[in-house]
Amino acid sequence: MEEKKAMPSLEKLVVASSPHIRAGETVDRLMWQVIIALLPATAVSVYFFGMRSLCLIITGVVTAVLTEALVEKSLSREVTIADGSAALTGLLLAFNVPANAPWWMVAVGSAFAIAVVKQVFGGLGANFVNPALASRAFLLAAWPTHMTGQLPLPLDTMTGATPLAILDGTASGTLPTYLDLFIGNVSGVLGETSALALLVGAAYLLWQKVIDWRIPAGFIGTVALLTWMFGGRDGLFTGDPLYHVLAGGLILGAFFMATDYVTSPITSRGRLIFGIGCGFITVLIRLWGGYPEGVSYSILLMNLVVPFLARWTQPRVYGTARARV
Amino acid sequence: MGRMVSTFFNGVINENPTLRLVIGMCPVLAVTTAVVNGFWMGVAVIFVLTASNILISLLRNVTPAQVRIPFFIVVIATFTTIADLVLAAFQPDIHATLGLFIPLIVVNCIILGRAEAVASRNTVPLSIMDGLGMGTGFTLALIILASIREILGAGTWFGLPVMPEGFEPAVVMILPPGAFVSLGFLLGAMNLITARLSNRPMGSKSQSSGSAGQKLEG
Amino acid sequence: MEFIAIIVGGIFINNYIFSRFLGLCPFLGVSKQIETASGMGMAVVFVMALASAVTWLIQHFILVPLELEYMQTVAFILVIASLVQFVEMVIMKVSPELYQALGIYLPLITTNCAVLGVAILNVTEDYGFLAAVVNGTASALGWTLAILLFAGIRERWVFNDIPASMQGFPIALVSTGLMSIAFFGFQGLFRGILF
Repeated sequence: MEEKKAMPSLEKLVVASSPHIRAGETVDRLMWQVIIALLPATAVSVYFFGMRSLCLIITGVVTAVLTEALVEKSLSREVTIADGSAALTGLLLAFNVPANAPWWMVAVGSAFAIAVVKQVFGGLGANFVNPALASRAFLLAAWPTHMTGQLPLPLDTMTGATPLAILDGTASGTLPTYLDLFIGNVSGVLGETSALALLVGAAYLLWQKVIDWRIPAGFIGTVALLTWMFGGRDGLFTGDPLYHVLAGGLILGAFFMATDYVTSPITSRGRLIFGIGCGFITVLIRLWGGYPEGVSYSILLMNLVVPFLARWTQPRVYGTARARV
Repeated sequence: MGRMVSTFFNGVINENPTLRLVIGMCPVLAVTTAVVNGFWMGVAVIFVLTASNILISLLRNVTPAQVRIPFFIVVIATFTTIADLVLAAFQPDIHATLGLFIPLIVVNCIILGRAEAVASRNTVPLSIMDGLGMGTGFTLALIILASIREILGAGTWFGLPVMPEGFEPAVVMILPPGAFVSLGFLLGAMNLITARLSNRPMGSKSQSSGSAGQKLEG
Repeated sequence: MEFIAIIVGGIFINNYIFSRFLGLCPFLGVSKQIETASGMGMAVVFVMALASAVTWLIQHFILVPLELEYMQTVAFILVIASLVQFVEMVIMKVSPELYQALGIYLPLITTNCAVLGVAILNVTEDYGFLAAVVNGTASALGWTLAILLFAGIRERWVFNDIPASMQGFPIALVSTGLMSIAFFGFQGLFRGILF
């Protein structure tokens, strides 16, 4: 395996927690496939939000790749930008900012994601939270006005509230139709708006067996069920689950961020529990929390529980000591 | 005389309680939202540390060994209470901001540690220098960390605007994540600098942050 | 309702580690393995609940009637120190197994600022006796949750290639920072319903 020689930290990862990476499936291929799967959403984002969107995405990707190269150079390590993971982080981070975000904020976020969340811990496979999401939460706490409130409307120079903020009652406006939500003709951050484009990419990843169905199914299923039960204003089981699934960052989060190999469980049962946990926390935050959207926090919080999910769901061989994860 | 000076600078630099020994971290992270808060916290700790070192050193020959720890705690708690009341009287705003962390000086392991390790075994002048040195080292660390956080998180230093016009402060720096991450990188930078200065191979566990683990009880 | 608010607040929203900065020394020191972290957590829950009860009684039946409130710090720290000693002796006599599990952690707790912190906060928040005990327990459970999650993450570092200058405390602090970012998700939870 040439790959192993190139990435010392990865070799340890394989031993520790990633039996699913089999021979012939290198990290390069997985990462680039996720990037390919995100291209439809990228295209739709550029179509709806214009060149601003493209500029921010390029800023995010370039900064992430440069930061990765700079940090690895300064630590005298192998430069691993070709594996695509830094580019993917930059792309996902850009997907999580609104089109009217300043470019420097995207750059700071990308650099934070790579340097502070990933490289400090030892590079690919060593971070315990998803770099793009941790960085998004960091940006949200650092410059809240740039991250929330009035976001750009598609095909327009106006701004408006996101569907979830309207649903939440924190902002006023008319709720978009299901069709608008599905194709992405709504206000929101760059990559989350078009359910259709994201689902095309997700189908590709499922078909290529890059991701497992359990995390997204558990995640989206739980959100649908709980919002149906508790999301309505007229009592139990009057909520609108379809709206909650299509609006906000659920589809982007469930298929592309929660499934991140490094920060999600490896066992089938662990993945299901992970997805359900994400769904539970998302609904908790959406319905009763301080933010209109809870997808990114829910994944971050479940990232923290992954070592325990690994422990609890690990099949143990009789007569041997419990494996240390 | 040379010993006095070296005792003082030992506390400020070589054995800086915050940056080298990494003890007593709660107030370091909690009060460094602004430089002025860090400064006053440091003053309070210098006072409590030096005063309790003096008293413990004076009474070191008449303190029975079995009850020395409770005795130290009472002495430290007394001076902490004095600091608390004096701050409340003369700096009520600062007192309100520091809040809980003034009475908590009593459980700061720096102070009990110095009482046990230095004041109970050494002369009064030496204990004074140790208290002043350690306290100054603590204050210096607080001011460095608070400067990073206040400049990035509010665009000011000691309340004065220092950043250029277009700078948008990153509020997160004065929130808990900013505290943890900045202190983490500050300690990392310290490790890097000391490793460069002493030309020792980095990462050996015998180094400051590694050996500090044993002292981390409280 | 007040109790539920105290519990949710103590564990998630105003977590002692991620938002109040209390009890950091044992958090950083005793979190290398999940087993030791959970032992420490149990000991802290036990002592903080008990300390909340005892210091509340001291405050309301001794310090306030005698107008000795300024003696709070001295009185509380002495009570906590002797309480920990007492608990240690009782556990040793009553349950050797429990002593085996908690024994080595108990002496460390006296200087855990979370214990004195909760005692003082109970007074400043003007809690009643039961509310004070609930607050002590919930805050300690929040602390335990934090140290358990942290220990789980920390066990994975063994396999990581962390830059030399960041090993030890620096990386521990950066991780805690990232965890506290995740805990921001609980900000404002149940506002208007419980708070």
